[in-house]
Amino acid sequence: MFKKAASPNALIERRFNVLRTAIAVTLALVIAFILLLSVSKHPLDDMATFLFGPFTSVNRFALMFEKVTPLLFTGVAVCLMYACGQINLAAEGAFFAGAFVCTPIAMQAGIAAGLHPVLCVLAAGCAGAVICGIPAVMHVKLNVMTVVSSLMINYVSLYLGLYLVLNFFRDPRAGYEASYEFAMSARLPSATNMANIHPGLLVGVLAVIFGYVLLYKTVFGYNVRMIGQNKRFAQYSGINVGLTVILVQLLAGFLAGAGGSMEVLGMYNRFKYTGLTNHGWDGVMIAVLARNNPAYVPFAVIFLAYVRTAADVLSRTSEVPTEVVKVIQAAVIIFIAAESLLSAWEHRAIARASKARLREG
Amino acid sequence: MREIAGYIFSVDFANAILRMSTPLLFVSMAAVVGAKADVLCIAYEGMMLTAALGGVIASAYSQSLFIGLLGGLASGMLIAVIFAYFMLVLDTKPMLVGLALNMLGSGGTIYATFILTGSKGNTNSLPSLTFPSLQIPLVRDIPVLGQILSGHNVLTYLSFLSVIAVYVFIYKTPLGMRIRAVGENPDAARSAGVNVVRTKFTALMISGLLASFGGIFMTMGYLNAFTRDMISGRGFIGIAAQNLGQGHPLATMICTMVFGGATAAGNMSQSLRLPSQIAQMAPYVVTLLGLALVGMTDRIKKRTTRKKNEEKKKSKEE
Repeated sequence: MFKKAASPNALIERRFNVLRTAIAVTLALVIAFILLLSVSKHPLDDMATFLFGPFTSVNRFALMFEKVTPLLFTGVAVCLMYACGQINLAAEGAFFAGAFVCTPIAMQAGIAAGLHPVLCVLAAGCAGAVICGIPAVMHVKLNVMTVVSSLMINYVSLYLGLYLVLNFFRDPRAGYEASYEFAMSARLPSATNMANIHPGLLVGVLAVIFGYVLLYKTVFGYNVRMIGQNKRFAQYSGINVGLTVILVQLLAGFLAGAGGSMEVLGMYNRFKYTGLTNHGWDGVMIAVLARNNPAYVPFAVIFLAYVRTAADVLSRTSEVPTEVVKVIQAAVIIFIAAESLLSAWEHRAIARASKARLREG
Repeated sequence: MREIAGYIFSVDFANAILRMSTPLLFVSMAAVVGAKADVLCIAYEGMMLTAALGGVIASAYSQSLFIGLLGGLASGMLIAVIFAYFMLVLDTKPMLVGLALNMLGSGGTIYATFILTGSKGNTNSLPSLTFPSLQIPLVRDIPVLGQILSGHNVLTYLSFLSVIAVYVFIYKTPLGMRIRAVGENPDAARSAGVNVVRTKFTALMISGLLASFGGIFMTMGYLNAFTRDMISGRGFIGIAAQNLGQGHPLATMICTMVFGGATAAGNMSQSLRLPSQIAQMAPYVVTLLGLALVGMTDRIKKRTTRKKNEEKKKSKEE
């Protein structure tokens, strides 16, 4: 699954990447402990809960996988977009668009049970593709900064979705702002009664494999990575840069949108979101941890889901608020992304290895 | 329709625009300074949030407006310092630091609110202070115009002054010129003896200061307490306005006012029986269209200059 190192130096670089990740996680845990000290009466017990919370019961362990499903989709989506060097933050909006576009379809009764979710997911994927595609087209055709346009389109997606759902599909009997109930034939059934582990998890794993194969085993993927590393070089070597950039972002949007619909159909019985869900931003973090390689996405997702579940457990057993997680997440991202951290050490190791090779001949 | 028109031309609406524009103006000026130094910073959101809470806490415990202001500025600047350190010293991608710091801002402020008040939602229980509004003598007595221009929060006036200040700073001072040089061509600046890292750091500190003012206005002027995630994308709108105004302080200010107007109209729309979501969506759609328009005019400009050059060549050959 993982490519062999091209040179001994690449091996050293990878070792330092692992080391940097380990340091980032350790530092983040230290910060978590300091935060715990500030609110908790039993910081040591609470820290133990935080570290091993998800393992304390089968139920909690299962709940962790509930959180995994949507993140697999947004993680791979962001990996694809970032691999071609586009800082597109519209995965958030695409996820939300997927969720609201599948709502009216899921409400229809009388569609065959096997077909119904497929229709929902396809429609949602297309909606996601539109949301991620608009900033891409604007960038390629009009040279608009993707960061700015994708941030704006997230809010367009949010308010458009809320407008449609609350004005046309709102169930007045729900007692809160939500759509009508989804038809049973559209909902994704859970495999266990402990948590909502639905077929979306399986599709998510397939999406990860698809992303990896596309990016590392096809010509298209090679072109995408080439554009990400050096756009000009890619252009001169005859790659249609504009088309590739747009295509890969449409594809990423499709994945994020599909993820959004599967999350809604698997977890809820109606459309209940009142704001953006943060899954897209989590996707960015996952892509950072996975270094834009879909093969590492599952590890990053499980790490994130573990920390989230641990924080949930902690907030139930103590007075520590779940927002601790956001602080920890921030610390992890920032330290992993700090490329010069340990760089002096890394250079020395590479120099030493190279010298040794020279001596050997 | 008449109701809408009546409202749009009312004094209230003009006042609302000025009030809504204030935080956006501050943060868009922050984005202007950052962009001049060629720093892609999306952490303004986090800076504003921390500054907003910092101001509330400092003013509540000291019961002094000045210390509140200092506390707010210091906490916002802290985020700016972390951003600058990681980006400039540890070579971290600015996007990622920005993302992380926004997360830190959101989580950290909720956490701090919870520790201090026991509520995760707001700081209503803290006796924090707000900045007073200012009645300008003379101006106040002008009919209509006086009602629009006078009686705003001190920070609102400061935000408009900041536009002029940023303009003068960027285009008329040596440091401003150095910042532009570093942003446009760091290698050339370096060879002319400018310390690139230090200049970018300074630019980011000024950015952080401006963004913090925007955050402080949210809790000590616009509202009188901190509520979770209250900045809700204003930092991003500031970046968009800067982009639309193509980095010029005055053009950016005009774009910001359009946003302010759209937000003000959105807040009013419920009483006019318009779906509020459409109104809330308006500023973002306007930005997207604006960005597309700017891109299109650039394209047309390039095409016409190219055509002209070709024609010149032809006429020379003939």
